[in-house]
Amino acid sequence: MDLDYHALAPEIVVAATILLVLGLDVALPRRRKYWTAFAGVVGLTLAAVPLVTLALGGGPGARSMLGGGYVVDDFALVLKAVFIAGGYLVLLMSVSYIESDRYYQGEYYLLLLTSILGSLIMASSRDLITVFVGLELVTGPLFLLAGWRKGDARSNEASLKFFILGVLSTAVLLYGMSFLYGLTGSVTFEGIRTAGAGLLDSGAFRLAVLFTLIGFGFKITAVPFHFWAPDTYEGAPTPVTAYLSVGSKAAGFVGLLLLCYRAFPSVTEIWGPALWVLAALSMTLGNLTALRQDNIVRMLAYSSIAQGGFILVPFAAAAVTNDPLVIQEAASATIVYVIIYAFMNLGAFAVVIEGARRTGTSMIDGWAGMWRYAPRLAVLGAVFFFSLAGIPPLAGWYAKFAMFLAILRPGNPWTAALAVIAAVNAVIALVYYARVGKTMWMDPLPDGASDGERTARPMSGALALALGISVIFVILAGVLPFQLAGVFAEAAKVVTAGI
Amino acid sequence: MSEYFQDYVAVAAFAAFGLVLVVLTLGITYLVRPSNPTKEKVTTYECGVDPVGEGWNHTFIRYYIFGLLFVVFDVEAVFLFPWAVAAESLGVPGMIAVVIFILTLLEGLLYAVRKGVLKWE
Repeated sequence: MDLDYHALAPEIVVAATILLVLGLDVALPRRRKYWTAFAGVVGLTLAAVPLVTLALGGGPGARSMLGGGYVVDDFALVLKAVFIAGGYLVLLMSVSYIESDRYYQGEYYLLLLTSILGSLIMASSRDLITVFVGLELVTGPLFLLAGWRKGDARSNEASLKFFILGVLSTAVLLYGMSFLYGLTGSVTFEGIRTAGAGLLDSGAFRLAVLFTLIGFGFKITAVPFHFWAPDTYEGAPTPVTAYLSVGSKAAGFVGLLLLCYRAFPSVTEIWGPALWVLAALSMTLGNLTALRQDNIVRMLAYSSIAQGGFILVPFAAAAVTNDPLVIQEAASATIVYVIIYAFMNLGAFAVVIEGARRTGTSMIDGWAGMWRYAPRLAVLGAVFFFSLAGIPPLAGWYAKFAMFLAILRPGNPWTAALAVIAAVNAVIALVYYARVGKTMWMDPLPDGASDGERTARPMSGALALALGISVIFVILAGVLPFQLAGVFAEAAKVVTAGI
Repeated sequence: MSEYFQDYVAVAAFAAFGLVLVVLTLGITYLVRPSNPTKEKVTTYECGVDPVGEGWNHTFIRYYIFGLLFVVFDVEAVFLFPWAVAAESLGVPGMIAVVIFILTLLEGLLYAVRKGVLKWE
């Protein structure tokens, strides 16, 4: 047994928390079920401790297990920290929401934690089998969570659509993976990289690479594989939507980063143009459709598709160059964008949960004049939506800045064209993000709504904590971006090593 | 490339043989046998007794849960047998791992019992 228990400690702690939550769910009476949420929050906090000791401990740089298929290096550590932080925020956001409607509380936290465990495995996986197991562990529980509001037809539709398209994408992904294994004779990324260099002219290898990319394209809701996203996001309970748009999406991007930079670096001419098209389509279609939405959750769904396009942009830059520094910068830009996006999008969803609870509607018009009865919520809403738009000094500007820097660096006409598309889209996005701000701050209260009625109910402590953490991150990362970027550059160096 | 697909010649031959076997046996019996269908003969075969109901049949949802529980314990057995064979060489760490594995499944069963899955009313 060559297991490194220190390196596996975060996963072990989360797995133990899952078993504890299940045990508590069996043992506790119905009105005490909120202890399962408490156990989940404590478990995730404990899981972050070994991450810190691993990062500070020094020792061997990368801890490799299971024949190189499971590696804990700087890349894995940074992304595990993001997954744990994101999961933590979603747990906090869920507490009052899940409690208020008498959903199955214990099972909810059990499934959410299982999905988080899957994303931790994704970050460490370095072969096809581990990456697949991790990805399915992320997605499987989410099929159930999307349909959590059993009595609501929309929630059922969300779950069913997500399930059918999720299974389809899994099938495509597996098909591609089986081709990869058949052609290269290896399941590890290192093996595929070595054997793939000699298979450039093979049509089957080209298909295999494209199939795996399409499989991940569904997970990151890239256009044209995005059809399930708006309906699923709208129908699922809002905290689950927040997790879908951040946790499961980030897991998809981790898989894409690992495949492109570790398994397929020798065949950039196959995946470069494909991801260029996906990025351009996702940004443009996502933004143009978001402009026309009047439901805020649906708007955020399309916005998340468009943001996914922005995150894909640096891949196109990495594909046209052989300069390792430029490639590293591109990987770093993707990682930075994923992390900043995670916090600002979770913050925006926390505002949506609280706003919908206060006003009783998720229609943007219904939020008019919010600053009168919920000034703090209106301020937070403005912070997160302007951060998503990329207005300095909020974190979103640095994400976009790093993305533009990465795409302009190679100086190739095609990447320059993508930069222009991205710039136009950044302007379009500002319109609909700013519209939410305008509605909350400038429009008069809707008819029949009195100030007093809407101020009566205070926010739950857990949701306030989630909002606080994300707003602090969004402002700090926007003011001190270069200190933050130093950490991510290390992660990017590891993932692009040996290109 | 061509070598890669040559490995699949055997698979293709195998598949073709299977196809030929079916066509041949059915074809020969079709040529040899007398054909005299009656109403009794063309009804659905259901273990010799007269068929009940239609082809579109509802199955009790509880069977699904039993099926799921069966799979869980079937998989448990799949893992336990190899462990039992190699138990001596795996020693105490192997023992601990298997105990954790069984306890985890036991917790799942406890949850199922608690949810009333095993009650049949």
